[in-house]
Amino acid sequence: MTARVLSGLEFGRNPLRVLALGGALVSLAFFLLPIAYLLSVSFKRKDDVLAGNFLPVDPTLDNWPGAFAATSLTTFIANSVIVSVLAGILTIAITLPAAYAMIRMGVFRRFLPQATLASYIAPPVVGLIPFFFLLKTIGLLNTHAGLILVYGLLNIPVAFWLIGPFLRRVPVEIEEAAALDGAGRFRTLVSVVAPIIAPGIAATTIIVVILSFNEFLLASGLTLTDGMRTLTVGISLFQGDRLVNFGQMAAASLAGIVPIYLIAFLMQKHLVEGLAKGGVK
Amino acid sequence: MTSVPYSDAIVSPAARAKPRADVSPRRDRIVGALFVAPLVVALIVTTLYPTLFLIALATSKSTLGKPFRKFVGTDQIVATLTDGNFQIAVAKSIAFAFASATAEVAVGFFVALAFVTLLKLGRTLLVIALLPLMTPPVMVAVAWKLILAPAGGLLNGVLMKAGIIDAPLSFLATPFLAWLSIGVADLWQWVPFVAILSFAALLSLPDGVQEAAMVDGASPLQRLRHITLPLVAAPLASIFLLKLIIGFKLFDLVYVLTFGGPGFATTTATFGIWRLALEQFDVGNAAAQTLVYAIVIGIVTIPVVRLHRFASENQP
Repeated sequence: MTARVLSGLEFGRNPLRVLALGGALVSLAFFLLPIAYLLSVSFKRKDDVLAGNFLPVDPTLDNWPGAFAATSLTTFIANSVIVSVLAGILTIAITLPAAYAMIRMGVFRRFLPQATLASYIAPPVVGLIPFFFLLKTIGLLNTHAGLILVYGLLNIPVAFWLIGPFLRRVPVEIEEAAALDGAGRFRTLVSVVAPIIAPGIAATTIIVVILSFNEFLLASGLTLTDGMRTLTVGISLFQGDRLVNFGQMAAASLAGIVPIYLIAFLMQKHLVEGLAKGGVK
Repeated sequence: MTSVPYSDAIVSPAARAKPRADVSPRRDRIVGALFVAPLVVALIVTTLYPTLFLIALATSKSTLGKPFRKFVGTDQIVATLTDGNFQIAVAKSIAFAFASATAEVAVGFFVALAFVTLLKLGRTLLVIALLPLMTPPVMVAVAWKLILAPAGGLLNGVLMKAGIIDAPLSFLATPFLAWLSIGVADLWQWVPFVAILSFAALLSLPDGVQEAAMVDGASPLQRLRHITLPLVAAPLASIFLLKLIIGFKLFDLVYVLTFGGPGFATTTATFGIWRLALEQFDVGNAAAQTLVYAIVIGIVTIPVVRLHRFASENQP
């Protein structure tokens, strides 16, 4: 009822409903097309790539193993997974207790949340040079640990923005009950509050992991050798080749994003909910 | 449970921060401080340290291999401010941020409106619409590069077959079309995000007003204009602001699609700084440009934040 009333498009009687369906389908086609074309190109032979057709004329499976053989693709993917997952855990480990203290305990309630969110305004390029020298000084340039540290800290504002609304909705009585049972703040957070907002924590973790996985600018400056490069940097190097093999490039790109799609697909409910409930209120 | 008010904090009911009856307020404050300490350290590392470090670099001759070789005062800052190419790059960054945020909020809102009308389908469509949001911008750029390629690109193939053009167009080799291509790729990436947030905003609207207007015989378009739009103006403004900030971070699409070209046509401030630092190793001037760019973003964004706050406080 809500939605139909809200946009004023009553079922069955309204040409606008047809318009809405048309609009939704067109936008859907637009969303799917580039990915579908990438998939199609990954099965094309070299001469077929130049024909400009949507579907491959004579499909081949060679590009997939070819992409893995021609580049250090496996290493790139492994680097990205290690860095983004550990950075995501670091982000949550820092953000969750801090958000709890700010929202539930009133610590720096006025200043700190604003400062945290405001720090998101600075573009990543601001960190490029300072982080390069910082990691160089502490010996973490071109290491997993260095990237984990940088991403883990940089994604805190996003995590805070997403987790905040979930924390605010936890009934305070539950915490009071925990307190009466003698649980301290830490116990209350870990054993009472965290389980209640688990879906929110899950969605937030996935989102910050994906943000790190997708990051390119800092990764390009803070990794120096093939063994440490992340997937986005590896794929960008494909661009530098004069003889770009489009089929292999498409296969390599897809090989890296299929895992993300699988995670997103499995966690879709949490993700939409997390995005919808976070922030814009 | 009665709350025991203590001296230095007037706790608003909204925050629901409660002192605990079973522990001393002092001990609770120590625990709270421990909880926020790592975040405070993180903020110092990600904001304060880079700012101070960039100031130090900008006022000295510095290369990637050898920073702080010679103190040069404000020479590099002045050079940056009077550099015509840099001014143009900053202007392009600002124009792109505003143009992309405007277009994406408009398109995303209408996509959400379509989805909300088909509520049953809407959720499924939204999940599929998550795909672009999940895709790394570098891969988004690769996909669009393949579509737009002059030799064998899908778009040229379709346009040639339809007889609209005789010879393939080089979409990424003329300034206007190159910007348009970056814009379309960015639109593809971000419209779903805007749509999901708008969808949530639309679902949280109260029913009563709409029903009353329906009873009064208001047409769907009248209701959209006079009821729905005013009610979602504040969340849409929030989304616009967020998208504006994200727009200033444009880098990956430029890198893969055009590498700042043709010539310097799509060289934004961010891309120019990246090249200066990592290709020419001129870290001193790159730091000066970064500082100026960060300040410009602040100057441009603050009025929008103010407007946004004003709009939220004066909601109908």
